[in-house]
Amino acid sequence: MNRTNGHNNEAILSLANNLRWEIGENFHDKLMESIYANATTIAHKSVTTPIEKPTFSFDRALDRIVTSPVLGFPMMFLILAVIFWLTIEGANVPSAMLASLLIDTFHPILKDFSFTIGLPWWLGGVLIDGAYLAGAWVISVMLPPMAIFFPLFTLLEDFGYLPRVAFNMDNLYRKAGAHGKQALTMAMGFGCNAAGVVAARVIDSPRERIIAIITNNFSLCNGRWPTQILIATIFIGGAVPAHLAGLVSAGAVVGIAVLGIVFSLVVSWALSRTVLKGEASAFSLELPPYRPPRVLRTLYTSLIDRTLIVLWRAVIFAIPAGIVIWLVSNITVGGESVAEIFINWVDPVTLIIGLNGVIILAYIIAIPANEIVIPTILMLTVLVTSITGVGSGDGVMFELDSVTATEDILMAGGWTLLTGINLMLFSLLHNPCSTTIYTIYRETKSVKWTVVSTLLPVVMGIAVCFFVTQIWRLVVGN
Amino acid sequence: MVDPLTSLIIGFIIILFFIWVYLPRNGLLARLKRSKKNTHRVLIEDSLKHLYNCEYNGINCTLNSVAGNVSISADEAAKVVKKLEELELILSHEKGISLTTEGRAYALRIIRTHRLWEKYLADETSVGEEDWHIAAEEIEHRITPAQADALAAQIGNPVFDPHGDPIPSAKGELPLKKGNVLNTLKEGEFARIIHIEDEPNAIYSQLVAAGLYPGMQVRMIESSKDRIKFLANGEEVVLAPLFAKNVTIIPIKNETTVKGKFKSLSSLSVGEKGIVLGISKRCRGQQRRRLMDLGVVPGTEIEAEMKSIGGDPVAYRIRGASIALRKNQADKIYLINEE
Repeated sequence: MNRTNGHNNEAILSLANNLRWEIGENFHDKLMESIYANATTIAHKSVTTPIEKPTFSFDRALDRIVTSPVLGFPMMFLILAVIFWLTIEGANVPSAMLASLLIDTFHPILKDFSFTIGLPWWLGGVLIDGAYLAGAWVISVMLPPMAIFFPLFTLLEDFGYLPRVAFNMDNLYRKAGAHGKQALTMAMGFGCNAAGVVAARVIDSPRERIIAIITNNFSLCNGRWPTQILIATIFIGGAVPAHLAGLVSAGAVVGIAVLGIVFSLVVSWALSRTVLKGEASAFSLELPPYRPPRVLRTLYTSLIDRTLIVLWRAVIFAIPAGIVIWLVSNITVGGESVAEIFINWVDPVTLIIGLNGVIILAYIIAIPANEIVIPTILMLTVLVTSITGVGSGDGVMFELDSVTATEDILMAGGWTLLTGINLMLFSLLHNPCSTTIYTIYRETKSVKWTVVSTLLPVVMGIAVCFFVTQIWRLVVGN
Repeated sequence: MVDPLTSLIIGFIIILFFIWVYLPRNGLLARLKRSKKNTHRVLIEDSLKHLYNCEYNGINCTLNSVAGNVSISADEAAKVVKKLEELELILSHEKGISLTTEGRAYALRIIRTHRLWEKYLADETSVGEEDWHIAAEEIEHRITPAQADALAAQIGNPVFDPHGDPIPSAKGELPLKKGNVLNTLKEGEFARIIHIEDEPNAIYSQLVAAGLYPGMQVRMIESSKDRIKFLANGEEVVLAPLFAKNVTIIPIKNETTVKGKFKSLSSLSVGEKGIVLGISKRCRGQQRRRLMDLGVVPGTEIEAEMKSIGGDPVAYRIRGASIALRKNQADKIYLINEE
């Protein structure tokens, strides 16, 4: 019996295979179609629909305005501008409060405490000047803007406006081989690249999602805006007549942000035509009906899911980096700190790309967050140039309230207008912060794409700085 | 400090060098990859495949046809054939060359991998139609039968490749050849394309450029020894008879046919409605599944709701939801033509 059974199985399988050749390849489609047809017949029999709801016509009227060729884009830019303005203006006060509490008040208290309990100076340095200070810094500069930006953005999403933005922007992004929703992840990236990378989940087509993740770093994130504004004010504002300074330096910052958008489109275009050419791609974009946003729920989810998770990751990375920052400035070999040795060593090479050793070291050790790059640069410059009277010692990051005082330090470090311009370019085009890199890995689960997203911008940054520097030297002189 | 002009030149040279190495089609890496292709094993396997195709189509194979198909000189072809005989994969006799049972099984394994890979590229990736065959030609020599079986399981054990060729089963079974070449269709008759031959590539790319694909409905207008003129999904196509020979069709009964030009979803203006006739076979894999999941199936009523600022994409109302589709997608959804 068993033997014949085995024989029968074989025969049945081979018959089945032959039948599949007979019925052709579209029987899956046929099956699905008949299920839908059945469902429709049942629905027709038993479901009655009320005549068109009034909200529906409201939706249509609103959609007509949102997608109108005249009003559509100005409205979009206005809404985004208002959100950014609210974020930057609104974050100033709580950021200053957090900074005065965590950095100006708690930091000295902790230092005093470490002296009273007789902690060795180096242990106090590592733990308090290194780990604590970096963590506190990241919290005070990151938390307020994110806590304002994310809820506002999520409210717009909940209301149904953002899908319409994607709908309108898709034409441009399609030409760049990307998905219209990338406009949204990019806008989110202006708040925080890590959050922008997470937001790329809304893109359900695999290829377009990877493109959105890799190019998100070209959105100038919240941590880089202050750097751009500071450097533009000092160097670009300083290079033009005083009455134009404000306008020109603001224009330069906006120019860098627009350059970032251009880069993200160009890189999307290149990626979709080369390395990502073969990845699967499927477009669809649902436009949900408008509805009143659920404010409390939005506040809760955007604070927990976006702000706190990102902040937590940043703090986790900032603490070890703080320790490294303190150690490289305090461990000495033959009378010179490790930082100085490294800076002197790379200086000649970095001059070719119009930067300096301090900037490169700062970008390496301040990888956890772009927010601590400027404090690290200032600390390292003071360390290298041996200026006295500013900062609070080797390895202790600091920032100055006065722009002119900051300018004095940078000038003492040998900075020129060219250094300023290159720093602005390099701040736009360099590797993502470690929080974003980790997030990219979590989202893509691929070492390959994580490495590409990390190295691509930094290679581009070096190339751009190199060419700008050479052409500058050729045209303007040193 | 290096002179800026010198370093600029060095910088440009470095960039040019990288472009030269990494250029997708003509770069150094691409060339190296291509030159590695013609190994001994590849020649043997390609020749076997050719011999099997002859057998399947009932044509006599010769040394010259092998040389022509694998693009080698007749001398080299003679060496390859000799080697195949030594391996007991073929027998040569006065009538030509024929495969042994082992040779046939070997050829079928290669063909199975080739067609599976084409199916995989068509359904699961965005690799362009014109590149499927080229990519499969390379991969077929590198995948083991076990890997091919795993691939088949992963993509749902398909039985046809995207050109309409049957995929041999793991045991090497293949159905009998079906259908006739397009040239045999009489004027006024209806038929469906079931297969488009992907070799030689020059002809295949012409057929793809003409917009032909398996599953298309055709109606013959004029069939002469100079040209073949027919309607494919309502669009007029003219082919040289030599080209038309690479298209295989089966006749279909008249009652299921649709007359006139197919109307696509993209032809609706805002506010117009239409009923879905079907999704074009050119829309494959994920994209097709997504559309069907959204409810784009025969009989569904779709209304064009609004245009985006640039005019593409357009939002459609499908089963109560607003879904934006791009023009190149809406082109592939056919509507019932009511005129």
